Amino acid sequence: MSNAVQSQASNGSWSKRINLNALLIEGRALIALAIIIVTFSIMTPNFLQPDNLLIMTRHVAMNAILALGMLLVILNGGIDLSVGSTVGLSGVIAGYLLRGYDLPLTELIAYPPVWVVVLIACAAGMLIGYVNGILVSRFRVAPFIATLGMLYVARGFALLITNGETFTDLFGRPELGNTGFVSTLAGRPLGIPMPVWVMAAVAAAFSLLLTRTPFGRWLYATGSNSRAAELSGVPVKKVQTRIYILSGVCAGIVGVLLTADLPAATPRAGEFYELNAIAAVVIGGATLSGGRGTVRGTLIGAFVIGFLVDGLVLIGVSVFWQQVIKGAVIILAVALDQAQQRLQRRRGTARAQGSTPAPGPTSPSRPRHGEPAAQGSTR
Amino acid sequence: MLRRSLVAVTSMVMVAALAACGDDDGDGGDNGGEEGGGTIAIITVDPSNPYWKAEVDTAVAEAEALGYETTVNAHNNDPNQQNQFIDAAISSQVSAIILDPAGAQESVGAVRKATDAGIPVFLVNAEIDEQGIAKSQIISNNAQGATLGAEAWVEAMGGEGTFVELFGNPTDNNAQVRSDAYHAVISQYPDLVMLQRETANWDRQQGKEKMELLLRAHPDVDGVIAGNDEMALGAIQAIKEAGKMDDILVLGFDGNDEAAAAVAAGEMVATVLQPIVEGTTLAVQQADNYIRTGETGVPEEKQSINCVLITQENAGQLSGFRLAS
Repeated sequence: MSNAVQSQASNGSWSKRINLNALLIEGRALIALAIIIVTFSIMTPNFLQPDNLLIMTRHVAMNAILALGMLLVILNGGIDLSVGSTVGLSGVIAGYLLRGYDLPLTELIAYPPVWVVVLIACAAGMLIGYVNGILVSRFRVAPFIATLGMLYVARGFALLITNGETFTDLFGRPELGNTGFVSTLAGRPLGIPMPVWVMAAVAAAFSLLLTRTPFGRWLYATGSNSRAAELSGVPVKKVQTRIYILSGVCAGIVGVLLTADLPAATPRAGEFYELNAIAAVVIGGATLSGGRGTVRGTLIGAFVIGFLVDGLVLIGVSVFWQQVIKGAVIILAVALDQAQQRLQRRRGTARAQGSTPAPGPTSPSRPRHGEPAAQGSTR
Repeated sequence: MLRRSLVAVTSMVMVAALAACGDDDGDGGDNGGEEGGGTIAIITVDPSNPYWKAEVDTAVAEAEALGYETTVNAHNNDPNQQNQFIDAAISSQVSAIILDPAGAQESVGAVRKATDAGIPVFLVNAEIDEQGIAKSQIISNNAQGATLGAEAWVEAMGGEGTFVELFGNPTDNNAQVRSDAYHAVISQYPDLVMLQRETANWDRQQGKEKMELLLRAHPDVDGVIAGNDEMALGAIQAIKEAGKMDDILVLGFDGNDEAAAAVAAGEMVATVLQPIVEGTTLAVQQADNYIRTGETGVPEEKQSINCVLITQENAGQLSGFRLAS
């Protein structure tokens, strides 16, 4: 196993193999997306209209940004259940700051400018992520448990800050210099909604991070086999802490975007968003045990879920069936993925037995996997 | 670890409760309880919705004015959580429980358990399916309110046109009751045609997202009937962004402050004020009566309070679920 990790690290054709593998992983998700688009555009002419596509893509973007953060965590074999609550908390913090807050020990009320508000709200997401990361990497709390706890803590703080209320006065006042939150963040530069721009930016950044930096290599390595990666000199704990921070920042960004979109900051915003994000990541071909998954796959996964849910509303399927169908598609997508994985692995093993046993760069089997026995137990 | 997270949850709830209490110190001054005293447990649904926040604030203020201490918990319509809060109230031997029940059937057992343990239960806002267990059941007359709202909306529509419906949480009894009452009125006008019904789970964000799609599916829609104000406000935001506010008539329900502002601004045709402040006040008073005298002071267990229609005429008088007279 350590052998495989080392061969990856020293492998020159790294990026080429990523692309080949990425294509294979994304195959089914792409097919699912194509089926969804074709089916719905036959059933309703509204589906493919440009402004409907924009609306749906804006809905997708919120989930996609969360899913991209979640992807990093899942690549490490972790999970971040706290993102939904973090969305609520950062949105509420943005709303709270825009309303103006009493400075302690003085009679003054502070009205920070909008960019400060956005920065602080995203920093709150970062802080939540940092605590998650420290809990997981230093205190060795299982990611599921640490982030489950944080799910409640962050939601609780969101409720505490608002005292249960919803903040709706988010427009700011010109004389206070804090206008522009809603008009900028819910605006449409060049006709494209802001969340879509943000999604594209985050996707590009994470794509570079995963494929072009040592950090990306470390992340895949720790996800495949944490022990082997550690022995190879990968700073496992640092990697772990950082991915939770990034996931928290993504959630913070979504919180701000969602608040501007509504426009209202409600402490219940983002409930269950973590589950949609996880679904997008796994539909995009990632495995929850870590080490496998791509930015492109995750984006496609988010589009599959978003277009499916919105399409069902557009054609008027009963709300109860909407849930059933959504769940069935998630299961089907992942089941198909696993079936093809098995097929590929069998073929890879057969070829390896035929020629040399070393996992070379042209091998179709994915070298990032653990031993077959370990895979069986984790999937 | 799980225990730690549970502790975290519980302490968050406690802190939230304390924070809620801290808000209403003004009323705590006059100590009216003669031989009352003790603790009243208030179990509500979801204080992040202004409607239930008003319920909690009213109950806390009234109970403290009568000389009781209070605890506040929220079950989020989860019967299991409700059960745990009831258990906690029983083991801490509270004097009475003010409960906004999580489901008409699901809550019967919880109410019976408390009653069997000698703790009187007073229901507000929603009812349970059996009588003779709780001491009082004080409910807003949802059917009557929805009828009022639908009538006002139909009149504004001129008795014709197309509309979509935003339905509340399907497992919540009130969602069905309101929808049924809306349709009982609307069905008398054959020229009013429903194009689609979507659930938005009482939630503003979902209301907005669903309405954005509904506006794409039915660009010519003339009206929206929503099961509560939050969904209606979300729909209004979507309609505004689509630039169709002048063409679409929206009906809400609950009578929260933002809805009142929307009605005053002409964005919402009407909403219906649920008498939650009045009902909760009555429940706490009856609890106080029962603790001191063993009688609630009213002959009927089930008391239904009528809702009030809010239109542009009286929207300005509405604040904090109270209509200034």
